[in-house]
Amino acid sequence: MALGGYIEPLTRLALAPIVAAQTWTSKQYQGFKEFVTAPRDVTVIRQQNAKLNAENARLQAQIVEIQQQLTEYEILSALLDFARAHPTHQYLGATVIGRDPSPFLHYVIINRGSDDGLRKGMPVVTQKGLAGRIAQVTARGARVELITDPSIIVNVRIQPSRSEAILTGSITGDIVLEQIPQDADVVPGNLILTSGLGGNYPPNIIVGQVTSVKSQDFALFQGASVQPVTDFSKLEIVLVITNFNPVEVAPLIPIPETP
Amino acid sequence: MGIFLAIPILSIATILQSAVISRITLLQGTADIVLLIVIAWALQKNVKTGWQWGLIGGLLVDFISGLPFGIYTIGYLLVTGLTLALQARIWRLAVLVQLFATFVGTILIHALSILVLVIRGTSLPLQDVLQTIVLPSLILNLFLAIPVYSIIRELAGLVYPEEIEI
Repeated sequence: MALGGYIEPLTRLALAPIVAAQTWTSKQYQGFKEFVTAPRDVTVIRQQNAKLNAENARLQAQIVEIQQQLTEYEILSALLDFARAHPTHQYLGATVIGRDPSPFLHYVIINRGSDDGLRKGMPVVTQKGLAGRIAQVTARGARVELITDPSIIVNVRIQPSRSEAILTGSITGDIVLEQIPQDADVVPGNLILTSGLGGNYPPNIIVGQVTSVKSQDFALFQGASVQPVTDFSKLEIVLVITNFNPVEVAPLIPIPETP
Repeated sequence: MGIFLAIPILSIATILQSAVISRITLLQGTADIVLLIVIAWALQKNVKTGWQWGLIGGLLVDFISGLPFGIYTIGYLLVTGLTLALQARIWRLAVLVQLFATFVGTILIHALSILVLVIRGTSLPLQDVLQTIVLPSLILNLFLAIPVYSIIRELAGLVYPEEIEI
């Protein structure tokens, strides 16, 4: 009968509730199993999550560090190029560690001092050009007076006209050219280099570029605004020219005799 | 106890001032965190070391500044005196005194700096100085005055806990 398929409907009828019951039981078991094991999994996942977060934070910090190193490398590489382009000078690299607390002074503090051979008056450059000169030295640090400081005066030469002029800073951080001869042909875009006159800075260091010229017929001299090549808001590493000794001209100035 | 705290706290503040705060500028103006701390400390109840904090803060800033030595010391001591005088009269409104002393103190220290620089022969166009340094510095100092006051009040509360009468 079975082989003949006569029992098939009966078997189906009998098995149907069994299968249904087994399905229900299995579902309940699965639910129970999940209920029992789930908290354990959450704990594991949380642990893994915490570990991954820590790993992520570590990698992020590593990326920032590598980016900093890359920036530093780029600056050092540019400084090296500058040093190679001016082989007559001896340089000492220094890191800018602070700025003057007074907003009236355009000074930065570097991490090299008299212990490293620095002396007052030594010129300070960046990979792009002149930055300033050392105003004060301590054993392990020095204060650099930037060319944007209102009290600074740099003797410069304008290229290509080769006219001499005086560069001064200002309280706003802008730098201007003064005492340009009236007959000098100065136009925006001209390069400004140190002239070496006065003996405070070595000659032929780039300072900036003329952005605008102020010329009046009745004035004795022309004036000009200058865009410095160095971005003073982003000074990080500088080079101090250690084999340049500024000339002290004070003893050469005659003192008027009192009657 | 207050005097022993002055050296580490004001040293850290001076380092922060030179390394960080001075790089955060509004036009050419910068905040003066040491000044704010000196004022806030002088304003705290039970604190008797306001003058010492003013002196130490001034000496530390003078040490790293290119201005002639003593400008900040004199300035901070004058501001401390002003703060203590105001506190004695309107002690219930310490936050207002902090703001007022910050306003007057910023102008006073800038006036001293300008005076010294003019005597030294530095060219300082008054309008540029006011627009690019004094007013922006004033805004930054007033902006930071209340947060600094809150931090220093917490610190003073730890150092000088209030006595409770039973």
